[in-house]
Amino acid sequence: MSGGYNEIHPEPTTFWSKYIFSFDHKVIAKQFLWYGIFFLGLGGLMALLIRWTLANPGVPVPVLGNLIFSGSGGVVPPDTYAMLFTMHGTIMIFYAITPILIGAFGNYCIPLMIGARDMAFPLLNMLSFWFAFLSGVVLLISLVIPQGAAAGGWTSYPTLSTLIGSPGAGQTLWCLAIFIFGISSTMGAVNYVTTVITLRAPGMGYFDMPLTVWGLWLTAILNAIFVPVLGAGVILLILDRVFGTTFFLAGASATSGSGDPVLFQHVFWIFGHPEVYILILPAWGIVSDLLSFFSRKPAFGAKATALSMTSISVLSTVVYGHHMFTTQMSPLLTQSFMTLTMTISIPSAIFFANWLGTIWKGSIRFDSPMLFSLGVVFVFGLGGLTGLHLGTTTTDLFLHDTYFVVGHFHYTMAASVLLGGFAGIYFWFPKMFGRMMNEGLAKLHFWGTMIPLNGIFFGMLLVGYGGMHRRIYNPFIYESLQRLIPVNNLITTSAILMGFFQLVFVYNFIKSLMSGEKAANNPWEVGTLEWTIPSPPPHHNYDIIPVVKCGPHELGNPNLKTGRDFQYQTEELVEA
Amino acid sequence: MSTRGRSELQINLATNIVIISMAMLFATLFMGYAIYRSSAPVWPPMGVQRVSLFLPSLSTVVLFISSFFCYQVSVSTKKNELSKGHKYLNLTILFGLGFMVLQGLLWNQMKSSGLFVSSGIFASITYAFTWIHFAHMIAGLVALLYLKKILRSETKNLMTKTTSVENFWYFLEIVWIIMFITLFVF
Ligand code: HEM
Ligand SMILES: [Cu+2]
Repeated sequence: MSGGYNEIHPEPTTFWSKYIFSFDHKVIAKQFLWYGIFFLGLGGLMALLIRWTLANPGVPVPVLGNLIFSGSGGVVPPDTYAMLFTMHGTIMIFYAITPILIGAFGNYCIPLMIGARDMAFPLLNMLSFWFAFLSGVVLLISLVIPQGAAAGGWTSYPTLSTLIGSPGAGQTLWCLAIFIFGISSTMGAVNYVTTVITLRAPGMGYFDMPLTVWGLWLTAILNAIFVPVLGAGVILLILDRVFGTTFFLAGASATSGSGDPVLFQHVFWIFGHPEVYILILPAWGIVSDLLSFFSRKPAFGAKATALSMTSISVLSTVVYGHHMFTTQMSPLLTQSFMTLTMTISIPSAIFFANWLGTIWKGSIRFDSPMLFSLGVVFVFGLGGLTGLHLGTTTTDLFLHDTYFVVGHFHYTMAASVLLGGFAGIYFWFPKMFGRMMNEGLAKLHFWGTMIPLNGIFFGMLLVGYGGMHRRIYNPFIYESLQRLIPVNNLITTSAILMGFFQLVFVYNFIKSLMSGEKAANNPWEVGTLEWTIPSPPPHHNYDIIPVVKCGPHELGNPNLKTGRDFQYQTEELVEA
Repeated sequence: MSTRGRSELQINLATNIVIISMAMLFATLFMGYAIYRSSAPVWPPMGVQRVSLFLPSLSTVVLFISSFFCYQVSVSTKKNELSKGHKYLNLTILFGLGFMVLQGLLWNQMKSSGLFVSSGIFASITYAFTWIHFAHMIAGLVALLYLKKILRSETKNLMTKTTSVENFWYFLEIVWIIMFITLFVF
């Protein structure tokens, strides 16, 4: 490991060193992108199977049913249903969103946007990908073993996840996969944090960094601190399952001296709440930048945005108890956690207002990255507001474990991060691959995603408010819930529709990759460093390390004499 | 920032982040322990015997000596007395291995006194914590061997790398001392 700041590493020549075991952050970024897109497809397919079951209980799954569930005549069996929602959640969070947002954009954007030639530790960076790969393989193996995959939910609460709740190797492999993934994330975090601190181009202060880099950097810090907490939890779970310890077994199942199942919930959420911000921060960063770029205006209060993201990261470490209001904790604790949770609204409101301030009176260009960014503003707003109902103890007692929660976290996490991720892909695709994506198809993809997406997740809020619990194979055996079947049908139809429009994306992606129009150096006309070099960038990124003279959002300044409406970060700041 | 200063900073940052991560892992374990212990009516639980203090105390002394030698390694490296540093490094490794052997003996003793892994929460904690610490000791040993390799030849950032490995070794020592006090003494 050496900090190769000024060295230009020799370009690799063999296929293996160039594409497989590459040290180049740009190649590793693409590896993470492919990895994430693969799992996104798999997780999406699982979602459709879950949705089919909820809208048409007992009806065979069309097309795929007889292939996968031949034993039950094409119907998803109850135990498989539990595996499906467990693996869907796990795959989406750890194997789709994390690799795309953190692995791909983190690797691609951090060095390029701060003017570095690579990460601080290129070898570690490569290892990080291959650990993630190994973890993915372990997870996939768990899908095909005889007793099936983990079925205790992505949260894996004991006793569902102990040997009593889930016998068989699936849950153990799940724990192992998560642990290995944790190692990969920590390796990534070491690199990201160190790179941002030590490899910024001369002249680039922290507040001259694009907000994308801010988001990724804060994410890496949270990752380094909180992923090991989950690591400890899953190790203890593995020991319980394999070696007969009794950390999470209580009562009759623990022989002498009782364990405590609820302790796992604490451990999980001490990690889990920061984790939701780990996932959203990169998307926030990307959206904060893109809103400014495509409004042709400086980001409104960029410094305040960065500082709010920082204070949200800090606050996110002390609110986890709001996931556990129903575990009979002391009312003093519930009230403290509720108050702390509400405190997050303050920085959240500040940066949300900054987003609106950025687009206010801008001359907006509705290119696809901007459409997706505006989509994030909308869905994140909705998701954040529903968080207030859940953060308030009195309302959460009713809403906890209903589809309202599912709707909430899909709006905040799934929808926001998905749309943010697409915004990023459409935006950096030209830099990554040197070709443009088809804009018409991109717009089709946007509307085909945005409209059904709200059908799905708003529908979930509705049925949850109506009392439908999550994680139930057939909720409609309860007569009172039968009136919710039509809404569930709407959700499932929307889901199928949205799934269909993702094919448009895949087609566009592959088609553009092979025969898209060649991209210029700076197709979006923005001033951050990565747009000063060719698309795709050469192996060592920058022939000469750039010197930064102004911030990333200098757009729309009427005093510019260059004939452009933006200035590069390498140009002396022109006063507005 | 000079290129040299920068790569020193990088190594220091990386080491500290790794140590913080591992500290969080152990902190989680200790938090769990605190909860078990404070919610148990008696500790150790009824019918369970404490582990005899002899082997854990000896382990503490041995690991402490190892850390002391580790400190001497960096003192010698700083003075550029590499062969002396090498000698101390060997002693560090030797005593580190000694600690690991003592851990093995401790597990044996626990087993022969009827305290099995599956004998309830007290045994769970004692075994699991020492196992997990042991796993990190292996990582520490690998780091020491790496140091042994680079001490032979003049390397870039030798001093920074030495202090990094040293700090990691101290970290393992500190975790063990906390374990010694909370698991075995009180
Ligand atoms: C805007 C402030 C937010 C508040 C006040 C809030 C509040 C809450 C509360 C109280 C719950 C627990 C509900 C229950 O189980 O009864 C919850 C669940 C959840 N939230 Fe949020 N949240 C906020 C933002 C976010 C964000 C930004 C994300 C992700 C990017 C997120 C992701 C989740 C997830 C994944 C769960 C569900 C976990 C599960 O039980 O499976 N939340 N939220
Ligand atoms: Cu939370």
